[in-house]
Amino acid sequence: MSRALFLASLALAFNLAHAAHDSPAAHSPSVAEVRATLAAMPKGNAARGKQLNQSLMCASCHGNEGVAPTSNWASLAGQRAAYTYKSLLDYQKNGRHENARATVMQAAVSGMSRQDMADVAAWYASLPAPNPAPVRLDAAAHTRIDRLVRRGDPTRLLTACASCHGAAGQGGINETPALAGQTVGSFVRTMNDYRQGHRVTDANQGMRQFAQRLSAQEIRALALYYAALPKP
Amino acid sequence: MGTLMKTPLLALAMLAFTLSPARAADPTGEAMAATCAGCHGTQGRLGTVEFMPLAGLPEAEFVRAMTDFRTGKRLSTLMGHVARGFSDREVRAMARYFASIK
Amino acid sequence: MLNRREFLKAGAGLAFAAATLPVRAAQGGGHVVVVGGGVGGATAAKYLKLANPKLRVTVIEANRTYVRGYGSSEVVTGHVSMDDLNVSYDTLKSRYGIQFVFDTVVGFDPARKQLRTAGRQTLAYDKLIVSPGIRLLYDAIPGYSAAVAETRVPSGWIPGAQTALLAKQLKAMRQGGTFVLVAPPTPYRCPPGPYERAALVTEWMRRHNPTGKVIILDPKDSFITDATMQLGWHRLYGYNMPADYLKDLPASVQVKNSGRPSPIEWVRAKDGGEVEKIDARTLAVTTLQGVEKADVLNIIPPMQAGKLALDMGLTDASGWCPVDRRTFESSVHKDVFVIGDASIADAMPKSGFSANTQAKVTARAVADQLAGRTPGEPVWENTCYALAGSEYGLFVADVFRLKDGKIAQVSGQRYLPLDATPAQIRLAATYQQAWLKTFTEDCFA
Repeated sequence: MSRALFLASLALAFNLAHAAHDSPAAHSPSVAEVRATLAAMPKGNAARGKQLNQSLMCASCHGNEGVAPTSNWASLAGQRAAYTYKSLLDYQKNGRHENARATVMQAAVSGMSRQDMADVAAWYASLPAPNPAPVRLDAAAHTRIDRLVRRGDPTRLLTACASCHGAAGQGGINETPALAGQTVGSFVRTMNDYRQGHRVTDANQGMRQFAQRLSAQEIRALALYYAALPKP
Repeated sequence: MGTLMKTPLLALAMLAFTLSPARAADPTGEAMAATCAGCHGTQGRLGTVEFMPLAGLPEAEFVRAMTDFRTGKRLSTLMGHVARGFSDREVRAMARYFASIK
Repeated sequence: MLNRREFLKAGAGLAFAAATLPVRAAQGGGHVVVVGGGVGGATAAKYLKLANPKLRVTVIEANRTYVRGYGSSEVVTGHVSMDDLNVSYDTLKSRYGIQFVFDTVVGFDPARKQLRTAGRQTLAYDKLIVSPGIRLLYDAIPGYSAAVAETRVPSGWIPGAQTALLAKQLKAMRQGGTFVLVAPPTPYRCPPGPYERAALVTEWMRRHNPTGKVIILDPKDSFITDATMQLGWHRLYGYNMPADYLKDLPASVQVKNSGRPSPIEWVRAKDGGEVEKIDARTLAVTTLQGVEKADVLNIIPPMQAGKLALDMGLTDASGWCPVDRRTFESSVHKDVFVIGDASIADAMPKSGFSANTQAKVTARAVADQLAGRTPGEPVWENTCYALAGSEYGLFVADVFRLKDGKIAQVSGQRYLPLDATPAQIRLAATYQQAWLKTFTEDCFA
């Protein structure tokens, strides 16, 4: 990290006393708000993002190259910049606090500027997605889940996951994240947070309705399916 | 000299410790794992909190995490310090213990 | 209260006492009695049951609810309430089948391996684990006493009414007043604790009493986490770091003392910080350097092993309990183990985390011995997080092993690096709060 950058982040960090204790209530944005937020996203500098990945400790949980060292945390390599940027902003400004793990993120993003967020997001987006995990659904389950992903389930008003997250799990339609190669633990936890209404910072709480119509077994199977998807 | 710069030297010093045959036997994996429980939960079982549960963690993930913490390849607050207190063989024993907890 | 001779006499020939608990041969591996339901005792009881669910485990504890000391300085600044310090024993009872006797021990017969309680119960044990905590030596400071501590000059080092009193006094302090904290000599419970308390009070004053100040009077010249703690004070409160600490800072860490008076001051022994006497009425504190007039006076007096350890004859001339380091079996009485702050544990700080890992090693050793096995190789750990401010965390982290019959630190570097990034510092504060939860669960649930 450059000395100037370090000192700048130091100054910011110590002037933001009590930020985490006074975080605002979670805000569920409209589609238009999300669009406006993303339109105002600064152009990211991946090289600077790479430095921030270290100095802000992101790498400890999300990996030096954006691949989480354990299934407990999300991999971010190859993640869409819009998604990463909005997530960081939600932790800092919009009261995103779906569980105690989010407390760690709130501490981590405290003092980040929007430019910092865009830079980190650009760095992750520039990396190749994680290698597919060596986990496999059995053939019957794979067929069932693949159908759910590609076609949805009209009987339960379930839109195909692929319609927003891409057939290859590459994400990017609207502000949706890439899912290919995501860790199983992180995927399951995220879906449960949507399902239970703990995570509400996506546009119109769109994910909640889907997550609530899926069974716990289906969520687990979807996690295994996406973890094993080849790089988009 | 900066503290960060000392780390590789320290790692070497600790390597000397970990290779030394001074102890008659290693503590059991379970005994060593119990020292983690204050943060990572009794038997590594933990709900969704700020720390990571260790129960059921695949052996290779645990070994890699401890090794990378120890060398500083993986950044940490204090896990690097803790990891330097255990030899490779002991880390593998802890990994087997945690992997066996469901 | 019985003196020690009376105490031991009360223990002798217990068989005649009216026993309300059946004294019977232990079933399924033995009866382990744990005296003291603090961190050490609770953890020992729980891990005994985890090691062998068939063991009969009885905890004798005076209070029906545990009041945690760790994190209790947050009551002083109003971050949490007294109620938040309460920890229930219910899970230890229901989940693990541990029996609790809420009573105090008044007699001890090590030959017959029996204890007698104030409630006239007699308990026989196969193994006895004593986790008596500490006793504050109020009278060691002329002018100070337990009575003064309860009414006028709280210590609050064992959490309770004095903690609440201190919080009340801080709140009521006049604007521009001086909060004087008298730090204890080593060894003492929770080495970074007095300095964390001073820091949290300073932070509180910035908001509520911006012209007030905090002075630490110290009979020592250093303390665990001293460099990282003072760096935090410097950054947060404009504390002027002493020259000897400045010269040890890495080149990348820039500290420029303002020279202006700081809202927090640390007067070391070498600067005359040792207290000679206090006047409880005027709150004047006399040191080698002169007289400091306090508006709120918080004294953390010298301490020794809990009174029970003394009464049971488990202490040596130092006032602490000598033990075999491998198992923490008392050097005085066979089949009696002393864990936690009261024990002499060499390099291990007297902390809750130390007591917790000592309890696990000892519980395993006791279960092994009762099963006819030789206890395995021990390993202990200590992780103390501390705050220089509510968002400024630091720590000491150690792994300990047995080396040549003593407990030695084997993990090298202990502290948050001085050149830690702001992210590390903030995360350490986050983890400190998380640790309060996970640690309590590991001990009590």
